[in-house]
Amino acid sequence: MTVAVNSRDDFTLENYRRVAMGGESVAIGPEARGTMAEGRANFLRLLESDRTQFIYGVTSSFGPRAKLTIPPDQQRAHGRAFGFRRGNWARGFGGGYLDERVVRGILFARLANFVAGNSKARPDVAERLAALLDGPLPRVPLDGEVGAGEVLPMAHVMSGFRRDDLEEGEANPLINGSPVSAALAADTALQACHRLDHAEQIFALSVEAFGAPLDAYDDVLDDLWGDEDEASALAALRHHLDGASREGRPSMAAPASYQVLGRVLGQAHRAVTGAEDAARVSLCSVTDNPVYVPPDEGHPLGRAFSTGGFHNAMAYPALNALAASWADLTLLAQRHVTALCTAAVSAPTGLEPALGGLVEEARAAAMPTLLPAAVNDPQDDVSSPTFSAYRRQARAAECLDSALAVLAAEASQALFAAGRQPAPPLHDLLMAVRAIFPPAEGGPRDPGARVSDLAAALARSAVTGSAAFGISR
Amino acid sequence: MGGACGEGGERTGTLMTVVVNTRDDFTLANFRRVSYGGEPVRVGAQALRAMTAVAGPGPTTGSPGPETARRARWPAPGAGFGGGQLDPAVVRGIVFTRLASLVSGHAGVRPSVAERVAALLDGPMPRVPLDGQAGTGEVFPMAHVLAGLRRDDLHEGEQEALLGGAPCSAALGADAAISARHRLGHAESICALSIEAFRAPLAAYDEALEGLWGDPHETAALRELRRYLEGTGTAGRRFHQAPVSYRIIPRVLGQVHRAVAAVEKAATVSLRSVTSDVVYVSDKASRPGGRAVRSGGFLNGMVYPALNALSAAWADLALVAERQVTALNTAETSDLPVNLVAPGAPGNGTYAYGWAANGYVEEARAAATPALLPGAVADPHADVLSPTFGAYRRERRAAECVDGVLAILALVSSQALFVTGRNPPEPLRPVLSFVRSVFPPIDGTGDRDLSADGGRFQQALGAAARTGELRVLDAGHGPAAVLSGDG
Repeated sequence: MTVAVNSRDDFTLENYRRVAMGGESVAIGPEARGTMAEGRANFLRLLESDRTQFIYGVTSSFGPRAKLTIPPDQQRAHGRAFGFRRGNWARGFGGGYLDERVVRGILFARLANFVAGNSKARPDVAERLAALLDGPLPRVPLDGEVGAGEVLPMAHVMSGFRRDDLEEGEANPLINGSPVSAALAADTALQACHRLDHAEQIFALSVEAFGAPLDAYDDVLDDLWGDEDEASALAALRHHLDGASREGRPSMAAPASYQVLGRVLGQAHRAVTGAEDAARVSLCSVTDNPVYVPPDEGHPLGRAFSTGGFHNAMAYPALNALAASWADLTLLAQRHVTALCTAAVSAPTGLEPALGGLVEEARAAAMPTLLPAAVNDPQDDVSSPTFSAYRRQARAAECLDSALAVLAAEASQALFAAGRQPAPPLHDLLMAVRAIFPPAEGGPRDPGARVSDLAAALARSAVTGSAAFGISR
Repeated sequence: MGGACGEGGERTGTLMTVVVNTRDDFTLANFRRVSYGGEPVRVGAQALRAMTAVAGPGPTTGSPGPETARRARWPAPGAGFGGGQLDPAVVRGIVFTRLASLVSGHAGVRPSVAERVAALLDGPMPRVPLDGQAGTGEVFPMAHVLAGLRRDDLHEGEQEALLGGAPCSAALGADAAISARHRLGHAESICALSIEAFRAPLAAYDEALEGLWGDPHETAALRELRRYLEGTGTAGRRFHQAPVSYRIIPRVLGQVHRAVAAVEKAATVSLRSVTSDVVYVSDKASRPGGRAVRSGGFLNGMVYPALNALSAAWADLALVAERQVTALNTAETSDLPVNLVAPGAPGNGTYAYGWAANGYVEEARAAATPALLPGAVADPHADVLSPTFGAYRRERRAAECVDGVLAILALVSSQALFVTGRNPPEPLRPVLSFVRSVFPPIDGTGDRDLSADGGRFQQALGAAARTGELRVLDAGHGPAAVLSGDG
């Protein structure tokens, strides 16, 4: 299948998923080709009207040398030489590499800048860019990618782009703007939605294993608390616990960690929604600097002007919030495991001590990424922190997956020891857990390796969207 | 909801009274009236009927048992201590918020008890320490808040209803939200003053960016900046692009808008939530006597993350403001006089304020460390604690620090305009008047304590965040005029 893009409205999370995770190609549609051709022609008319006007990177040099004007007769060569004279800006190294699916996503997000003609580039340039998705993709190191805007990682992403025939104003839209933030937010949002679903199922399994009273998830709370995210969490828990027996549950209140599930999961819903919103807005934003705005009544030739679009200010806070939410859920999972292991009927796996480390790691990863303190030069005086936020969120998510894997194993063991079955909607989940972590008195042999397999399965299913632990529904 | 003097209010003597009949009366506006305005609260007839209906016959199932009684112990005020005290206005807000869980009858509290709680607002507020308030739910701070409440005749379940739930989170969220909205408005006016002082190109705030970026919060920031800059000329502005800190300010302010909106939403939802540990639900279809539902309402899961995000937004705004201070003070960058020293004046002008700004930025970044669910466990039952007090205190500190940097940015911007003999456009003139009434330009005359002057400016911004008013001071530092809410 091929995703056809004709306007910015085509840069949706669903199309992102198809291209980045599904490996689909992208075709520039006829509407976009027409718009870009018109935009290019209008931009050239604007440029020819006065080649001494300031247009960043076209009639001027770059970065701290922006004051330096480029003589008209050198402007085409200046644009064409961008990738060579400035050198390849790929400077970061170490720390591992971005997953290839994310690099695909960055290329897809980059095209949003082009299709409405704001990039000033010819349609052929956009088509060449889209064609990169059909070949091998470059490796993008995770370390050393923090600078003003996203030029550093984009230089890696575009390392295979042929640029010897670029014209005035066509080089900058390839690497300027903030498509990396858009893609990192989209990659995170898509996984987070699945991860939250898995977390709700596993916490529901824990409720069943502990025999916690079900009042704490009652539908009367939807209105009394009055928050849509908490209502979503409560509804999900009720769905997974549908048909659960009320017999045999203790009359006294469960530990707080069971009572507050609806509210802590509600915050996770809120954080996931925040990441989705940031991704949706960012994917279809035009963030290039300078941006070209087509002609209007007051500007018959259109305008090309400098902006701060290259700085995405919404993706990294959304990723910070998600990391914090994962850390809180990791702590909650640890509390549940402790409660399960100390219950009257239990068959602990011996994995409980490992959770302390996971909780601490998740909390460390939840330290927010702020605007970097470093300054490159007086002109480039604020850098973009999204890469760091992405990595911390990923680490917090990894810790949560591991904690959920332990909780799932402990819940399975507790049900096994008590000879009970969970509510019907949880049967498949329990079966999947036991396929990897079979129940046994004292737990299976080598529980560490098996719970590691559980965690890996959870991480995979967060990416693919398959059911938790990879079972089909 | 109703009253003799407009929506939700009635006049009693010279004071208005907020009348609460349903949960819908627990709004941010009413919170402000009760907390900051000092208005009393009356429990309305509709609320009295609702409470009587539930508390009258009482539930027949799920009534509080021994566990409930254990949890309802009234902790001795003083269990928390140190760290300073909550502002009495915020304590008033907690008392007000407490009533939200009572008026609908879901808490099972008698009307007379609710009226007794409301009457606390007619007296002095107790002192509520800021340290030691992280417990399961908010029992510890509530024991301080309700220390003056007569309780020798409380029925079973009523103590728990009064101490339980999460009214502190709602009040702390509301207090932070009200100040944050004002602080953001003032920040936008000061950033616009800085843009004007630096002579940054205006295209970075162009209307076209609203559609190109497509984000409502960034749109709001762009519009505010343009509103303040309306009428400014393009002559004399730099022809090339400004430093990054000037071009990205709409996006950074957009993130602050997003964070403020999130706190407002968290406060709005929390103020009217019924969060009692046990709620009594009329369920005549299946259980004629109603039923009791025990839940985790006592943990507010939305306010502390919203406060965390706000702290981070203040820290980022502080850093960008500091970068603008540096740009203004650096002649090679700004093409302004070195250190903005007035002609013939001795000293280093505003240069050292740039260094001072660094300290506020670092403190703000430290305060942006998020409050997560506490690692401590009180006991196997109370195994998750509430972090809202910690988040509130960090947001207060981050806000104080951003006030410090914004004060410096404002005085440096004022100085830049002064040494170049320029006036800002009309919409910024009241802001500049405020700045200069608190911090006159450094003209080299007289003997000034620039540290004290800066500190007074920071305090003025802090006070303005509460009131929403930038107060122009006269020469003796008394109020001479008041500018409207957002400058």
